[in-house]
Amino acid sequence: MTSTTLVRRGLQHYWRTNLAVIAGVATAVAVLAGALLVGDSVRGSLRDLVVQRLGRADRLVVATGFFRDALADDIRGDRVFDADYRDIAPLIVMQGVVADQATGRRASGVQVYGVDDRFWRFHGIADVAGPAGRDAYVSRALAADIGAAPGTTAVVRIEKPSAIPLESLHGRKESAGRSIVLTVRRVIDAAQMGDFTIRPQQGDVRAVFVPMRRLQQDVEQPGRVNAMLVADRQRATNAPLQLLLKRHAHLEDFGLTLRTLGPQPAIALESSAGIIDGPRAAAADRAAVQANLVAKPVFTYLANTIRHGDREVPYSLVSATDPGVPLPSTGHPIVLNDWTARELGAKPGDAITLDYYVWEDPGYLETRRAEFTVAGIVPIAGAAADRDLAPVYPGITGTESLSDWDPPFPIDLKRVRPVDEDYWKKYRTTPKAFVTFADGRRLWQTRYGDRTSVRLAAGGQPVDQARARYEAALRSALDPESMGFTVRAVRDEGLTASRGSTDFGEYFVYFSFFLVASALVLAALFFRLTVEQRAREVGLLRAVGFGTPRVRTLFTAEGLLLAAIGSAIGAVAAVGYGAAMMAGLRTWWSGAVGTTSLTLHVSAASLLAGAAGALVAAGACIWWTLRGLSRLSERALLAGQLQSDVLPTARRGGRAMTLSVVAFAALGFGLIGAAAGKAIDPAGAFFGAGAAILIACLCLLAARLGKGRSKGGRRPSTSIANLGFRNASVRPGRSVLAVAVIASAVFILISVDAFRLSDADPTDRKAGTGGYPLLVDLLVPIVHDPNSADGRDALGLSGAAGIHVEPFRVRPGEDASCLNLYEPTTPRILGVSRRFIGEGRFSFQGSLASTDAERANPWLLLDRALPGDAVPIAADSNSLTYVLHKKVGDDIVLAHGGAPLRLHVVAALDDSLFQGELLMSEPNFIRLFPEQQGYRFLLIDAPPQTAAQLSDTIEKTASDLGADAVATRRRLAEFHAVENTYLSTFQSLGGLGLLVGTIGLAAVLLRNVLERRRELALLRAVGFARSHLFTLVLSENVALLVWGLSTGLVSALIAIAPAALQRGARLPLSAGGGLLVVAVLAAGLLSSVVATRAALRAPLVAALRSE
Amino acid sequence: MLRVTNLSKDYPTPRGPLRVLSDVSFEMAPGDAAAVMGPSGSGKSSLLYILGGLEPPTSGTISLDGRNPFELSATDLAAFRNARIGFVFQDHCLLPQCSVLENVLIPTLVAPKGEADAARARHLVDRVGLADRIDHRPAELSGGERQRVAIARALVREPRLLLCDEPTGNLDRAAAENVAALLLDLHRLENTILLVVTHSAPLAEHFPIRFDLQDAQLHRSR
Repeated sequence: MTSTTLVRRGLQHYWRTNLAVIAGVATAVAVLAGALLVGDSVRGSLRDLVVQRLGRADRLVVATGFFRDALADDIRGDRVFDADYRDIAPLIVMQGVVADQATGRRASGVQVYGVDDRFWRFHGIADVAGPAGRDAYVSRALAADIGAAPGTTAVVRIEKPSAIPLESLHGRKESAGRSIVLTVRRVIDAAQMGDFTIRPQQGDVRAVFVPMRRLQQDVEQPGRVNAMLVADRQRATNAPLQLLLKRHAHLEDFGLTLRTLGPQPAIALESSAGIIDGPRAAAADRAAVQANLVAKPVFTYLANTIRHGDREVPYSLVSATDPGVPLPSTGHPIVLNDWTARELGAKPGDAITLDYYVWEDPGYLETRRAEFTVAGIVPIAGAAADRDLAPVYPGITGTESLSDWDPPFPIDLKRVRPVDEDYWKKYRTTPKAFVTFADGRRLWQTRYGDRTSVRLAAGGQPVDQARARYEAALRSALDPESMGFTVRAVRDEGLTASRGSTDFGEYFVYFSFFLVASALVLAALFFRLTVEQRAREVGLLRAVGFGTPRVRTLFTAEGLLLAAIGSAIGAVAAVGYGAAMMAGLRTWWSGAVGTTSLTLHVSAASLLAGAAGALVAAGACIWWTLRGLSRLSERALLAGQLQSDVLPTARRGGRAMTLSVVAFAALGFGLIGAAAGKAIDPAGAFFGAGAAILIACLCLLAARLGKGRSKGGRRPSTSIANLGFRNASVRPGRSVLAVAVIASAVFILISVDAFRLSDADPTDRKAGTGGYPLLVDLLVPIVHDPNSADGRDALGLSGAAGIHVEPFRVRPGEDASCLNLYEPTTPRILGVSRRFIGEGRFSFQGSLASTDAERANPWLLLDRALPGDAVPIAADSNSLTYVLHKKVGDDIVLAHGGAPLRLHVVAALDDSLFQGELLMSEPNFIRLFPEQQGYRFLLIDAPPQTAAQLSDTIEKTASDLGADAVATRRRLAEFHAVENTYLSTFQSLGGLGLLVGTIGLAAVLLRNVLERRRELALLRAVGFARSHLFTLVLSENVALLVWGLSTGLVSALIAIAPAALQRGARLPLSAGGGLLVVAVLAAGLLSSVVATRAALRAPLVAALRSE
Repeated sequence: MLRVTNLSKDYPTPRGPLRVLSDVSFEMAPGDAAAVMGPSGSGKSSLLYILGGLEPPTSGTISLDGRNPFELSATDLAAFRNARIGFVFQDHCLLPQCSVLENVLIPTLVAPKGEADAARARHLVDRVGLADRIDHRPAELSGGERQRVAIARALVREPRLLLCDEPTGNLDRAAAENVAALLLDLHRLENTILLVVTHSAPLAEHFPIRFDLQDAQLHRSR
């Protein structure tokens, strides 16, 4: 006989109750580890999607402009490439809208890829090549969306890339989109890279694969691409690729060209954009210094009018550069060529006026005027006869006559005189006037640059040598990253992002908390029953010399062994629980994840963590149970008298419990206060406060039961029901535990229902819709002010009255809302106009406002100048909290042009439609993202009743822009659906907790009745009918049930009251919540009746005989 | 030697302390056997539990072989009880999950002596006449047999003091006679100090010393 034998004998003998303990622990482990498995599974599934959808692509080289597809071959041919990388493939990556030409069914947000055989070879797909001619391949999701099959004619609408900025004078604003008609030849499966995407997304991938050559031709970028995929040989880094890029990129890959000019030996550096931006200009200057050349900037601009008095010359090119004559350093001198001076009748010292166009925000053309003084007149010869001072402008520079001009801005050809035509025919783009470069820059500089070309004088050197030397120096000075090239480790990024913005493991642990707690309480309850049943054994062991610690060790060993067995079983069951939760996420709760591609991933670490967690909790329960026994005397134990002493309340009287009631209630209300004061996270405070108040209520019950039991002189019971109620105090520990389980479940199920979000008011300017009933996403940006006649025409709103369109600039990026499961690293950014800021719409949950004006309208904070290089931004509070894991006052740091961009959160919007993006002021946006053209996101303020019709009109009229109009209410509802689905998940798991609680209650009731068989038999002997006994027992159970229900209900109501008021959610009870309370009551009563009937069926007279 | 001096015991009640033992003094030497009789609630069991170190007196001292158990720490008291005192309860208190032998061996778990424990336990089981039932569980034994197991268990650690609380209270006359004879027989063999609390006059007749407990006072009547 050893202690181990004693433990083993105990386990075997009390196997029934031990089984219940094991079941409780197993349930807790299954739920806890299963919840962690959900987190693993979501992460694992996201990781699988990344890996599957990237194919062999480890890195992506992407540029803001187009570059030679031969660059890929140049890089591959370098020996450095072979050391780190296995393959490289060029491709075109664009966004588009695809429609079935026959049915009109369309899909937006489609990834359009221009590929050739190299793409499939790169991914090792042997059975796919092409596509060729006018064929296209589509992904299965796209085929399903538009109903396409092989043979379907599909129209692919894309944004036509333009080197010339759309928001510049020469940008072609009316033809920013391009439609390509193709025949669907194949539907490509995911295994064949049909779901290829470089942006992690959990939803289906809508992709169309277009012949690269066809796409190059249609977007007028022959032989050029905008991306390259790179496969690593082993574990590589970006650095060698960046080096190779710098080594092999030609000037034309950066949008630059060098021209040798004659007859004077000179070199001109020009940009395909028609204007040279700051980084390129700086590189050009550095290269000139290195090549020992003198660089001279040139800014040539179109003047609508050169006027002197009442005489004028229309549509003339004016160059801001040195014309070869000395100019005064003060004032605004202008040098005219002799033709212009003659036409204007101007002489040195005369005043000259220039009229010229500028493109102004938000998207309109403005004519401006500048005054000059004639500083000289030069013949059209030498430097003044240089027709290469003007960049190539499509529709202007190549035309034979002025009347053939087709510029992207209005011109009045009636103003063109025969002499003007003669000049054009004879001198073409030769400038008619010259101003200083400083004046030119002052007047015409935009965010796209301050010079149209750079002139480099060869000096005495042979021009070819000078050019070669300069080109080498320039290539060395050009940093690909600053010029718009980005090398991205897409696989690493994707894998990192697959950690997820939402830790589903954590969420499911929260969701399952009360289920775990119920299971543990149940396990503790049964363990306690076992121990109580063996009180005499404890007494005997102590009487024969076992010390209290030794007895405790024995029982702890037994309990832990049970817990270990339960944990082992639970770990296996956790896989089933996890699988069930994943099935739930794929089906009932798919609204929370937006995908059906989630599969179970089992991780030993999670199983062990869940098992260990529950084991520790079970150990704590056991310790707590045994702790009570150590206070009992051997004599009491030997007599089996423990019911009056096990619960501390009873032994110590009501004082400690009363203190506990006060302490926990204070804690609960303190947490609510702290949450209301925004001192702590409201979600945590909610649980904390609810739990504290719940515990306070349970302590109150314990105090009441203890008090009731210890009162000597109370009035005798006057009814059978009253006697029944009093019986609840016979086993106060059991009563409190049973009530705790029921109360917890009710608490969960009621409280979360109050947080269910309802639709927002589309007319309320302070609601989440901002009072805009409609929003529009555009594939092709609109550059005109959408409230101008041109803008309204483009959107099909010409005849609509009472409408205002609020345009937003967009820097594409990842969705920062709860709809995106991946962790966003570069969220989408919107630039908001000054007008929008002034409107002060939407509500804010928090801000850094420090003035009355800012407090009244926190949008003003976006204009605040922050220390350092930080940029103020606003974001939705939900996105900040749950996706970005930031709060007001935090920084969000993004990679931007090779340097970190620090965004400082100055305001948090309250449950708004801006959950997918960050918002910054338009000036900051333009400064940081000058390459982003026009407006791609619109909010439309219109009478709500016209929203549906407007939506149809916009989608039809602005189909060229790839317009996607959605009711703001619907967009918000999509976000709410996620949150509401979480609540449903929570409630479902709470329902399981209730089930466990009900089982526990039934078991306790049965046990209580069985233990009191002698008492019941005695009552029958003295004349109680069976119905009396039924009433007696049932009334006790009903008392417990009602206390559990009311405790759960009251604590839920108290805990959620501030949040419900703040968030505008309705207060419980809703129909669902009410139904639940009734269901709990019904389930509890049913289990009471079943337990009571079962107990009363036992032969009571036999029990009496033993008395 | 068991020496009890001026022992008193009060129990708190809502209406003030209830004295169940008042100024009790007596001595017993090894080999002495005494029965304590008295009406229900007279304090017999209290006296027994105090002598067994399970319940402290309100005042007075106890000394067993010169040691006062109530001056010991909780751990030492448990060890003292294990080594020096054996208990037999009216309700035998056998562990239903353990066999006869295992029940007898339970006190040895506190300070195991290996095979010697098992040998002594087997010997005692043999002495109480249950050698053929050594692997049976308590549920498979009659009341008398269970009490004999309890006696064996009480003696397994060779205690100096054997305390019995109504050892025959739940037994019929024949079984009670049997158990009483066994108890005295073993007492003589083991040379213990035996103190039996009982209501049963026939049982008390077996003991050379008899105490009567009345009105909290202990009187030696034989």
